[in-house]
Amino acid sequence: MEDMKQLQEEIHRDRRGFLKKVLAGTIGGSLLMVYSASGREIAEQIPGMREEDTVFTKKNFIFIVDITRCIGCGSCCIADKNEYNVPDGNYRTWVERYIIDDHDEVFVDSPNGGLDGYTKPRTDIPYPVRDTFFVPKLCNMCEKPSCTQVCPVGATYKSEDGFVLIDEKRCVGCGYCIQACPYSVRFLHPVTKTASKCTWCYHRVRDGLLPACVSVCPVQARKFGDLNDKTSEVYKIMREPHIISVLKPGMGNEPQLHYLGLRREVV
Amino acid sequence: MSAVAASGESLAAISNFVFPNDLHVHWSLMIVLYPYITGLVAGAFIVSSLYHVFHIKSLKPVAQFSLLFALAFLICATWPLMNHLGHPERAMSMMLTPNPTSAMAGFGYIYSAYFIVLLLEIIFIFRPTVVALGAKATGFMKTVYTILAIGSDNVSAKALKLDHKIISFLAAIGIPMACVLHGYVGFIFGGIKANPLWATPLMPLIFLLSACVSGIAGIILTYIILMKVSGKKVDIECVQTLIKFLWGFFILDFVFEMLELFSHFYMATHHWHTLEALYSGPLFTTFWVYQVGIFSVIPFFLLMAMSLIKFKDGILLFFAPIVSIMILLQVILMRWNVVVGGQLMSKSERGATTFHPMWFEKEGIAVAIFIMIAPVVILWLIGKVLPFWQTEEGTETA
Amino acid sequence: MEKKYKSSYFAHVLKLAVILVVAGGLGIFARGIFLPETMGQYGHYRGSDIQDQRDVAIRNQTNDACFECHRPIRLIHKAGVHKTVSCEVCHGPYADHVKDGKVIGKLPVKRGMEIKELCLRCHNKVIKARPETVIKVVAMPQHLEEKKVQITHNCNQCHMVHDPLLWVRAAYEMAGVPMKEEKK
Ligand code: HEC
Ligand code: HEC
Ligand code: HEC
Ligand code: HEC
Repeated sequence: MEDMKQLQEEIHRDRRGFLKKVLAGTIGGSLLMVYSASGREIAEQIPGMREEDTVFTKKNFIFIVDITRCIGCGSCCIADKNEYNVPDGNYRTWVERYIIDDHDEVFVDSPNGGLDGYTKPRTDIPYPVRDTFFVPKLCNMCEKPSCTQVCPVGATYKSEDGFVLIDEKRCVGCGYCIQACPYSVRFLHPVTKTASKCTWCYHRVRDGLLPACVSVCPVQARKFGDLNDKTSEVYKIMREPHIISVLKPGMGNEPQLHYLGLRREVV
Repeated sequence: MSAVAASGESLAAISNFVFPNDLHVHWSLMIVLYPYITGLVAGAFIVSSLYHVFHIKSLKPVAQFSLLFALAFLICATWPLMNHLGHPERAMSMMLTPNPTSAMAGFGYIYSAYFIVLLLEIIFIFRPTVVALGAKATGFMKTVYTILAIGSDNVSAKALKLDHKIISFLAAIGIPMACVLHGYVGFIFGGIKANPLWATPLMPLIFLLSACVSGIAGIILTYIILMKVSGKKVDIECVQTLIKFLWGFFILDFVFEMLELFSHFYMATHHWHTLEALYSGPLFTTFWVYQVGIFSVIPFFLLMAMSLIKFKDGILLFFAPIVSIMILLQVILMRWNVVVGGQLMSKSERGATTFHPMWFEKEGIAVAIFIMIAPVVILWLIGKVLPFWQTEEGTETA
Repeated sequence: MEKKYKSSYFAHVLKLAVILVVAGGLGIFARGIFLPETMGQYGHYRGSDIQDQRDVAIRNQTNDACFECHRPIRLIHKAGVHKTVSCEVCHGPYADHVKDGKVIGKLPVKRGMEIKELCLRCHNKVIKARPETVIKVVAMPQHLEEKKVQITHNCNQCHMVHDPLLWVRAAYEMAGVPMKEEKK
């Protein structure tokens, strides 16, 4: 155990050194630097996206959430909130925690949509836990969306390339689409007074970047890609034998959001 | 049984999880009022059609009044909607670019068409009266009557015959239109598959029947009150007939409401597990205690007694308004339990949120009261121009 | 005997018909004026909204975007165990910091015990739902007790936040002890 003590001292001394070197260097260095760093120079994350010049992309994007990898850190929620300045209390994406005890009772929670992370274990589970996991939620980008069906004015629509979007300039704010969405991904934006929801970061995707949540996920639990591209990860996942399912298949909405390793308890 | 349990039990274990976006109730008081008001319109119109089309002679005293009653409420039917919209200034988009697949998009056109039919019918029915009043009036009122008579003073037998034909035609298309208007409002809810409380083909029917019920009750109540206030004699036969119709429609209405619930219960799909929790939880008081227990069962038996037993006029006139008020409350409770109740249950199928309307907010109670008073004021204003009641001799000619 | 009327017996019907037709015509005319230009271009929606959607500002960039200026951190972060962790999750979005290549604002930096909170967001063992094959988790304060330090120690006293194993590895090297590859 004497070893350990020495070790700690080393670490301590070493840490201070590093701190001085590294951090002073960082700040000093960056102060002197002048860069022309615009979004364009950032490497493309979706291959071939920036060459496209058509109104709609020819790619066939799908989204896969890997339940077996999500650590519930809420990075995606933070990035999403930052990307869109989502008002408090509304969620374009959120992360749910499922706990199933050995009496098959299901406990779900999602404090502040997982935005603040999960800091406390649940203490109100009466029996030993059989299974517990995180389920991130976002727009399902249905093949047959029920929200666009009900919009009275054609303000929300499914584009030719499969994205369900909302025209902020035409939405009347009636809230019908919010009622019609089986997944409750829509909300009424308190500032614009229009319906709002996750767009799979359409603007980023068309610019060759991955959706913000996919880009920041530290464990690749969120995957986004082109199903037409045989080399893409999503293509490989979809054609290999995995447990892949969608939410509420009985609704008949045919989501393009797929879940890997989804348990049947998840709604 | 066990098959249901196998897939259902774990889902049925309600642990009170509500999707984060489901904590807000987006459709609140205003959307409760909207079907309520259109229901009153449709119901009142049907009362007048019973006289004009089906020739129920005993309803003659209220035939004209119920049209004006319908008009007053129809004018206000869009108010709650406009107040509810996030962007009321864009409301015209519904007429401009109606989405053919949307249940709501038709509202603009159905509403306008119905408005035109109702207005035309009023113009034709009141034309002889208007011409006569116009002849006596001076100044501003004369202009008003000239406009209402569409600039014509011809009330010859030939003209009235033509009018009569048009009135029959309008009343005849008016009935299906009233049914469409309100059945359609029911469909706005009934067509939402994501909400198990709403998604039932019975919804349009229930809405339509409750519309008839509320309209008839509204007419009974206002008729008796207006007669008492103005010291005129209440036509007992008319009230008796209205009560009978009210009972008839209410039997259907109540039975279908209960059948709808019972079907859900009996089929016991996984939807029932959520509905069950809803009916035994957040909706227990407003649904079971108020809507069903107090305001359906009691009026049901009162109406039965009033229809089957011949009471003294005084007793009839005492209970008729009470029953009408109870029915009016039953219908608004039903609207509440459907519109708000449906949203309390989260689409997570695991829990329910709560909703308490506030007095002073954009869609609050104060505004709701204002919107419910407005048609009464409009009706009073209409009464300044057009007579509610026909004179003894029937339609007066100059 | 017939009374003489100024208007013919069908005058009002005719006038009403004209009014309705004119109103309908006005409606169609108004529709022509107010209809958004690109409505129906690709479907029942405003076609130009596609461009509007593309024009939404990108606020989060990638880690590469930060590396362009923060060179030293890049050397550490890119090679370290935290290479998959996004700078912007811990510090805030690019758009709040840099615009057109110029620094326009400061990004928040977590200090003190906030750092511990930050680390435990991902590494806390008490949250059982975390798949342990995906992320290494530690229990607090056992992790500190194991290391024989006071439990008031902060994570960044031993772990360099941008590459948590940098100092640890260096320390092991200095001590000449081989680092445990896999626990358990
Ligand atoms: C255009 C070059 C440039 C880019 C790109 C850039 N930074 Fe900086 N950053 C700077 C400069 C210069 C400073 C020092 C500014 C100061 O202290 O006022 C700085 C300071 C910081 C600080 C310290 C702020 C403080 O309060 O001490 C943080 C944290 C930071 N940057 C994070 C980031 C992150 C995260 C990114 C990527 C999203 C990024 N930076 C991208 C130039 C850049
Ligand atoms: C796990 C969260 C985390 C990530 C990821 C992260 N940082 Fe930091 N960063 C911190 C914390 C915490 C500090 C404060 C360190 C301290 O006080 O010891 C810090 C400090 C800094 C500083 C120095 C600010 C100062 O004044 O001390 C800069 C610059 C910086 N980070 C930039 C970056 C860049 C660029 C990236 C991406 C490559 C990045 N950080 C990724 C958490 C993070
Ligand atoms: C956004 C989530 C996140 C945050 C916040 C975070 N980490 Fe990590 N950390 C990770 C991931 C992901 C890995 C890589 C795990 C892997 O690849 O096995 C990792 C790896 C590590 C490792 C190496 C584990 C090993 O042995 O492989 C250490 C140590 C660590 N983090 C410490 C910290 C400390 C200290 C902080 C606080 C400054 C912190 N982490 C904050 C996500 C995070
Ligand atoms: C006293 C120094 C010290 C402090 C303080 C400390 N750690 Fe560590 N930590 C270590 C060392 C040394 C290791 C290397 C693990 C090993 O080899 O046993 C480690 C390993 C880890 C690992 C990887 C565990 C594994 O199973 O490989 C994680 C995660 C971690 N630390 C997180 C944290 C967090 C979070 C904090 C702050 C709450 C923290 N540490 C505070 C010294 C420290």
